[in-house]
Amino acid sequence: MKILVIGLDCAAPELLFGVAGLSNFRRLMENGCYGRLESVIPPITVPAWMCMSTSQDPGSLGVYGFRNRTSYAYGDLGIANSRSIQELAIWDQVAREGKKANIIGVPPSFPPRKVNGISVGCFLTPDTKADTYTHPAEVKDEIAALVGEYPVDVKGFRTDRKDWLKDQIYDMSRKHFEVVRHYLRRSDWDYFQFVEIGLDRIHHGFWKYHDPKHVQHEPGSPYADVIRDYYRYLDMELGRIFEVLSDDTAVLVVSDHGAQRLDGGFCVNEWLVREGLLVLHEYPKTVTPFAKLSVNWEKTKVWSEGGYYARIFFNVKGREPSGVIDKVDYEEFRDELQARLEATVDDRGRPLGTLVFQPHEIYKTVRNIAPDLIVHFGGLYWRSIGGVGYRAIHVQENDTGPDDCNHAQFGAFILAAPSIPLRGEISGARLLDIAPTLLELGGYDVPSSMQGRSLVRGRASSNSAAPPLSIDEEEIIRQRLSGLGYIS
Amino acid sequence: MKRVIVIGLDGLEPKIVEPMLNAGELPHLARVRAAGGYARVRTTFPAQTPVAWSTFATGTNPGGHGIFDFIRRNPVTYLPDIALNRYEQRNAFLPPKAVNLRRGQTVWDVLSEAGVPSTIIRCPCTYPPDDVRGRMLSGMGVPDLRGGFGTPTFYSSAEKLDARESESVVSVATNGRDTIRTHIVGPRNPQTRSDLRVDIELDLHPSANKVVVRSEGQPRALEVRQGEWSPWLRVKFKFGMLQSVNGIIRFYLVQLEPAFELYASPINFAPDAPLFPISSPSEYAGELARQVGTFYTAGMVEDHTGLNNGRIDEAAYLAQCGEVLAERERMMLHELDRLERGLFFILFDTPDRIQHMFWRFREPGHPANNGGSCKEMTRVIEDHYRRCDDIVGRALAHADEDTLCIVLSDHGFNSFQRGVHLNTWLLDHGFLALRTDARAGTEAGDFLRHVDWSRTRAYALGLGGIYLNLRGREAEGVVAATEVEQVKAAIKHGLTGQVDPERATLAIRGVVAREEVYSGPLVGEAPDLLVNFAPGYRSSWATALGGVPLGHFEDNVKKWGGDHVIDPKLVPGVLFMNRRFRGDKASLVDLAPTILSALGVPKGQAMEGEALLA
Repeated sequence: MKILVIGLDCAAPELLFGVAGLSNFRRLMENGCYGRLESVIPPITVPAWMCMSTSQDPGSLGVYGFRNRTSYAYGDLGIANSRSIQELAIWDQVAREGKKANIIGVPPSFPPRKVNGISVGCFLTPDTKADTYTHPAEVKDEIAALVGEYPVDVKGFRTDRKDWLKDQIYDMSRKHFEVVRHYLRRSDWDYFQFVEIGLDRIHHGFWKYHDPKHVQHEPGSPYADVIRDYYRYLDMELGRIFEVLSDDTAVLVVSDHGAQRLDGGFCVNEWLVREGLLVLHEYPKTVTPFAKLSVNWEKTKVWSEGGYYARIFFNVKGREPSGVIDKVDYEEFRDELQARLEATVDDRGRPLGTLVFQPHEIYKTVRNIAPDLIVHFGGLYWRSIGGVGYRAIHVQENDTGPDDCNHAQFGAFILAAPSIPLRGEISGARLLDIAPTLLELGGYDVPSSMQGRSLVRGRASSNSAAPPLSIDEEEIIRQRLSGLGYIS
Repeated sequence: MKRVIVIGLDGLEPKIVEPMLNAGELPHLARVRAAGGYARVRTTFPAQTPVAWSTFATGTNPGGHGIFDFIRRNPVTYLPDIALNRYEQRNAFLPPKAVNLRRGQTVWDVLSEAGVPSTIIRCPCTYPPDDVRGRMLSGMGVPDLRGGFGTPTFYSSAEKLDARESESVVSVATNGRDTIRTHIVGPRNPQTRSDLRVDIELDLHPSANKVVVRSEGQPRALEVRQGEWSPWLRVKFKFGMLQSVNGIIRFYLVQLEPAFELYASPINFAPDAPLFPISSPSEYAGELARQVGTFYTAGMVEDHTGLNNGRIDEAAYLAQCGEVLAERERMMLHELDRLERGLFFILFDTPDRIQHMFWRFREPGHPANNGGSCKEMTRVIEDHYRRCDDIVGRALAHADEDTLCIVLSDHGFNSFQRGVHLNTWLLDHGFLALRTDARAGTEAGDFLRHVDWSRTRAYALGLGGIYLNLRGREAEGVVAATEVEQVKAAIKHGLTGQVDPERATLAIRGVVAREEVYSGPLVGEAPDLLVNFAPGYRSSWATALGGVPLGHFEDNVKKWGGDHVIDPKLVPGVLFMNRRFRGDKASLVDLAPTILSALGVPKGQAMEGEALLA
């Protein structure tokens, strides 16, 4: 049985299940199982897609976000690329068993991953014209012949030019799907996975028009239906994919995390300054990103990198160059800071419900340099802002451009396959369960490195013979002939 | 010619039309005859509506379009099925698609390619509708919401309520109450295998002789007066997540007291929201409904099932047929009003359905009459022909000197008093064998259930077809290629001239091999042998679905007392044109070339007939 994975970055279960007008998604649901899918911590595109594909948590992969500390020196941050994550993925297991796999746009896949099949670089590809972003290299020319310039992302999606943004997202998505359909039809594959980033961009760009609960919601806006319409567009593309599938294919629609509104930004470094944990030589006159601040490292205990979630780093003696916190005090300090962060309030003094995680508690292993704490302000209803100079802890604007939504901890999945033993709504499914499930459905071995559990454990039936003609078939024929007066 | 108007009057019988014409009872048809001519037109092998109209449409014998009967069989499973269309589903994620099993190139295909528009209304075997330059509304072949030809529902407060043929029954308890809570039986949910329902409440008003149907449909309160067909009720069946199916239904209140009896028609597709496409362009059916009112969309719309089962009486049936005729006429006039050029075709099925149910009244000795008689029913058929003649008259008002008018029927009509159990004959003559534990009769069941294929050389399914159990074609075939001619000859010889011992009359005039009457690419799908019955005889009711009843003959005691699936030579149709034409050997295959020639378009390559215009 072939396996097709349709990754829709950031697809929200609330917008996918039980929504009118999504008849192809519904058809999938009726032919299999579906449900909310608990993502990893942090629920971010990198490393979530690779966590799914390897069935390993971020700590085990040693990647905690797009940018990770490459050493304990201050400011040594590297951007993750495909070389950052080389653990055994589902397509590697497929190859081990002599079968072929295509992966298109599965982050991070630049430089292009060498698979037993075709791989096309993801949205982190710097320049599709100059770089070799496909494997084999000739695929780049085939793509150019198909769609011309291949947009891997909408650069500058955090913008106020909403009409331009919408057009760019659709243009990109159409080209992506055309390439996907081309290789679905014309290449030899047993496993096929692609990730469409457009949905994530549409959420970030238009959430406030869509969600009446968003603090900046504008009722009656012409952009109110942009998100709803894009889901319908995806439903249409799903229908076109159905047309090119053969009978014996398992189809998985899946997202790496969900989406939810942003209530505001929490200036975490401002807060650390106020708490006396982050000491600057000089408070900046205007809003300044953290990297450009003049930090007094000898007096600083804690600093943070912002984003959809916060990574909190401690200045530890003997670890960081100018470390301050004694190693013996580390755990107590960490627990106390966790409590203080959990007690943070919003601009009206109400508790935010902030969630704080210690890597060693949530990951099987902790590799490379993990943040000392991972923080979801307001349960991810608040971004974390890394810059200083706002003279406030709570702000409405984002330091990297207009962005209306954050990621939610639960994404979605729909899994349909011929004679799949699972039906209806499934609860408790986790992102790490996907790869073992797919491998078992496909009749492959599940490598021991995979941490999740197969949802069809022991129940997958391979090649079950078609049931013999039964009373049902006769019943159907009788129904079809019912009322034909010429016969009884 | 700029325009061709074709009016089909299904089943009009020459032996009734001709005397009426001569007696001046069909003045408008007489006008057409006077302007051009009249002839009997040869029908198809077999003389069945979907076969004949498909030949009319394509100008080929059935070997060219693939419709040989209402019923086809699957040589792998030996099961019967509807021959007009099927559904396919490429994979589990795509919705099922309807596929028309009538193939070949139609007259409107040829016209569309030549840039000439067509409006085709209710031609059989146009489901799903073709892409046509112009408009098309599908006809026979469109299912009701239960997927068949039409399954009505009968509501009754009687103590014992058993379902009769092709119907659903719902028991209701009145108990002196004013309101009954019940439901409308909808389509089957394929996953749960139970019926979808819409809840309704029936408010009984015995003093006003009516019942009001209250529901979430449109209208929310529908008045059903005793003895009258109600207006349409539009309902929505919900199933699964936010999925629903629209349908329309209408009611006939049979009686309120002493027992409550309410008849509900089969649920038709809603014209503007059909479950599967029924018009081309797809919005056309909805637009037409907005112009002329909601209409029956199912392929067979007359409630013969209700009458056959005794749920409604002849008066109710006639009233319903009258409404169907009226709504079809409204469609015709609406389209003729705006017909600028090209082909216009419309079929009025009702004469065929009326004749099926009222023929017995012309024959006092008909077994279905049970020894009784019914004087006021004897002229029902002639009355209906007169109504059809009126319709022709109104159509003629839209014909100018640049318009060719054609009025025709696809076959004639005759009596059906005796059914022939072909499978039992084959059993008794050693061509068919049952498994040792089974015997002919009701225990043999249907669907050829107990047939021992290893010892069976031939079997009958459908309305007069016999198939060989051929090695290499049938799944458990035993007849080798070398034996085929011999087996066919033996069956032919044995059946031809078969007499009905009880009546001492000829039952089977002859048996033809398919190669004798069919040619073309699809002959391989036809039955190997076709039985030509004598007047009054037909395949028995059980034979069509592979039954093996006791004996070879039985009385037909159903109200469906007239039929036409006999030797085609005995049931030609009628053909009128308002221009002179060569009628002496006119056949249905000649119509398509005639229409094309009138519109100045060369005839299609596969068309076998000739243009008839002199």
